[in-house]
Amino acid sequence: MAAAATCGTGAGNQGCTAAAAAGKNNVTSFQRKGPRASVPDSGCARLVSIAGTRPSVRNGQLLVSTGLPALDQLLGGGLAVGTVLLIEEDKYNIYSSLLFKYFLAEGVINGHTLLVASAKEDPADILQELPAPLLDDNCKKDFDEDVCNHKTPESNIKMKIAWRYQLLPKMEPGPVSSSRFGHYYDLSKRMPQELIEASKWHGFFFPEKLSPTLNIEPCSLTHGYIKLLQFIQNVIYEEGFDGSNPQKKQKNILRIGIQNLGSPLWGDDICCTENCDNSHSLTKFLYVLRGLLRTSLSACIITMPTHLIQNKAIIARVTNLSDTVVGLESFIGSERETNPLYKDYHGLIHIRQIPRLNNLIYDVSDVKDLAFKLKRKLFTIERVNVYRVGVGQRERERESQADSTVSTEPTVGLNLMTLRSGPESKPKVLGARQLLETREEHLSSRLLILTQAERLCMGRRFFTAFHIFNELPCKGGCICLQTCQTQ
Amino acid sequence: MESVWGLGGLVLLRDSVEWEGRSLLKALVKKSALCGEQVHILGCEVSEDEFREGFDSSINSRLVYHDLFRDPFNWSQAGEALPGGPLGALRALCRRTEPGPVTIALDSLSWLLLHLPCTTLCQALCTLSQQHSPLGGSPPVEPVRVLGLLHMELHGPGPMGALSSLAQTEVTLSGTAGQALAHILCQRPRQHPTHQTQCFSILPDFSLDLQEGPPLESQPHLDPHIPPVEPTTHLTFNLHLSKKEREAKDSLTLPFQFSSEKQQALLRPGPSQATSNIFYEPDVYDDLDQEDPDDDLDV
Repeated sequence: MAAAATCGTGAGNQGCTAAAAAGKNNVTSFQRKGPRASVPDSGCARLVSIAGTRPSVRNGQLLVSTGLPALDQLLGGGLAVGTVLLIEEDKYNIYSSLLFKYFLAEGVINGHTLLVASAKEDPADILQELPAPLLDDNCKKDFDEDVCNHKTPESNIKMKIAWRYQLLPKMEPGPVSSSRFGHYYDLSKRMPQELIEASKWHGFFFPEKLSPTLNIEPCSLTHGYIKLLQFIQNVIYEEGFDGSNPQKKQKNILRIGIQNLGSPLWGDDICCTENCDNSHSLTKFLYVLRGLLRTSLSACIITMPTHLIQNKAIIARVTNLSDTVVGLESFIGSERETNPLYKDYHGLIHIRQIPRLNNLIYDVSDVKDLAFKLKRKLFTIERVNVYRVGVGQRERERESQADSTVSTEPTVGLNLMTLRSGPESKPKVLGARQLLETREEHLSSRLLILTQAERLCMGRRFFTAFHIFNELPCKGGCICLQTCQTQ
Repeated sequence: MESVWGLGGLVLLRDSVEWEGRSLLKALVKKSALCGEQVHILGCEVSEDEFREGFDSSINSRLVYHDLFRDPFNWSQAGEALPGGPLGALRALCRRTEPGPVTIALDSLSWLLLHLPCTTLCQALCTLSQQHSPLGGSPPVEPVRVLGLLHMELHGPGPMGALSSLAQTEVTLSGTAGQALAHILCQRPRQHPTHQTQCFSILPDFSLDLQEGPPLESQPHLDPHIPPVEPTTHLTFNLHLSKKEREAKDSLTLPFQFSSEKQQALLRPGPSQATSNIFYEPDVYDDLDQEDPDDDLDV
């Protein structure tokens, strides 16, 4: 467990938990050096692992967590080190600031250095409002009570699982220690003061840096952006994130958070007029920022009020210059608030772009219609509208007329994909293999299946298996009754 | 209207040609003066005499008036005009350090938007309305309220959107049939914005008279031609079980619930009592030959 002892700055409890885990697992004091002996974080045996990162399972790219495990899954495992995550803000900037805080809180827990830049709020105030991390013992209780509060009385019956998965253990939420990648947070509580003080952070509050008597000569970049870039560059150089000070102790990640970039408070007028003089200022800033990030161990989150930008070409350029782009669209004030399809959700989340880093293929998930919901303690991301099973062509046409943005790809069968940022996880998509495996077990039950009909059933395996395995009585006219006999 | 008062920060009063907002601005100024707060007024569009008209002397003595109307560009050089023009006047307001709750009325923001670049104005407004700890470290106690009068028709969507994103409260004035209505959109930081509508009228002495508004009859977003989408109509299975069906379902023993009788049945080696029966009816296409086809091979 030598690799686990590379603690990041400031978090003294990391080493202790890793050492305790090592003490529990090993029987002898002899430790075999090799890839299996080290913690699952490190990619290979020789590589000193940085706390809070892990290599991607697809191409080995070093990833950090965004603070929201559901978002990590959608982005292909996490946010790559050296890239920019751009969040297009929702109209009243409620949910995008939550994602911003999740990112920073994850940095505090993992012991990363933070750089918070804002033109509207003092960075110290932003850090005071980070959500508290969920601890091991009482987190399951909190989640259960949270889930129960939202259940209707009808669905209070716990679903009886007839499959082999009943015996599989549930996925554990995990302790706070940074040996895990991606933590859960409680939005109703604030992060404890000692964790914030133990973390290392740099703040950039633009109104303080702006002196009113300064004579600003016209330049291609807006004054605010120049100052911010100089600040970031100084921090990267002085703290050694770009490898310039090799005698520094351990490598660490710099998490940069920039709030409301592009708003008039930074001095940029792309939100005010359509034909602005300095329309390339923001794009130049992003270009220089990308250069700074690619040559250092850092990851950046930017929230941008793209709904205010008047010139749509700038939004397209900004999207191209960022690596990962996530758009949030809240339902507040729009007509979708009363649409019954969206009544459980607070808004839609669009994954607009995922980068191709050292790769030829994308890592895009095939789920297009995602929505989010802000519960009292959690921010969950789910797939919209599970009830699309068996919807035919007519219904798809009708709903596209009614201007819903639910995807029209045929979601046949058991697409019960629920990506929650909570601890409970049911098995995701049930494929044909699992159905065929359980067929034998079903033959030992009271089901009578005829051979030819069995072939027919397997041809229509999704529908009939759903009926059989869920023990739901079929409505009249269902094809299952013609071919199989249930109970 | 109390929510307008409770929050500090920037309050935008958006008026139009039909429903003017200066009287509402003066009513709010009077209300804060009566509460004993300090009131600063930056007058740009109307003269000082016209603004003070209608207030009685006690209120007039409490108002601190910064006049930009008479000489906005400081041409008279008599030393009476405010130094630095409109921007200097705003920054001077930011720098004042007297304690106590303060209301600053900007009459009007439209004038300032036309004379100053939008970004500079936004930055100055942000500094004005967020003035909690001028010395740093002390917690904010008194709210600073900035009332800005904005004429909606003069500006495009860009500046309006930028100012709306800065404002904590937006009051849009409209009305029907002689009755003035105020649509108030309150946005507390990090909470859902709340919307309310209030009927009001301004009395001749500029006191505010709030009335119970008539409820809005129209629901514009429910189109009667398109029925609401019911997602569960064309399912092939039954989501709503009757009580009998539910009992039958609950009493069913599922194949993986390892109850004790099932365990006994499996453990007991009874040849006559097979727990699983496969009823097989051979097909036309099924090969019933029991011989091993590999027997023909000479291996």
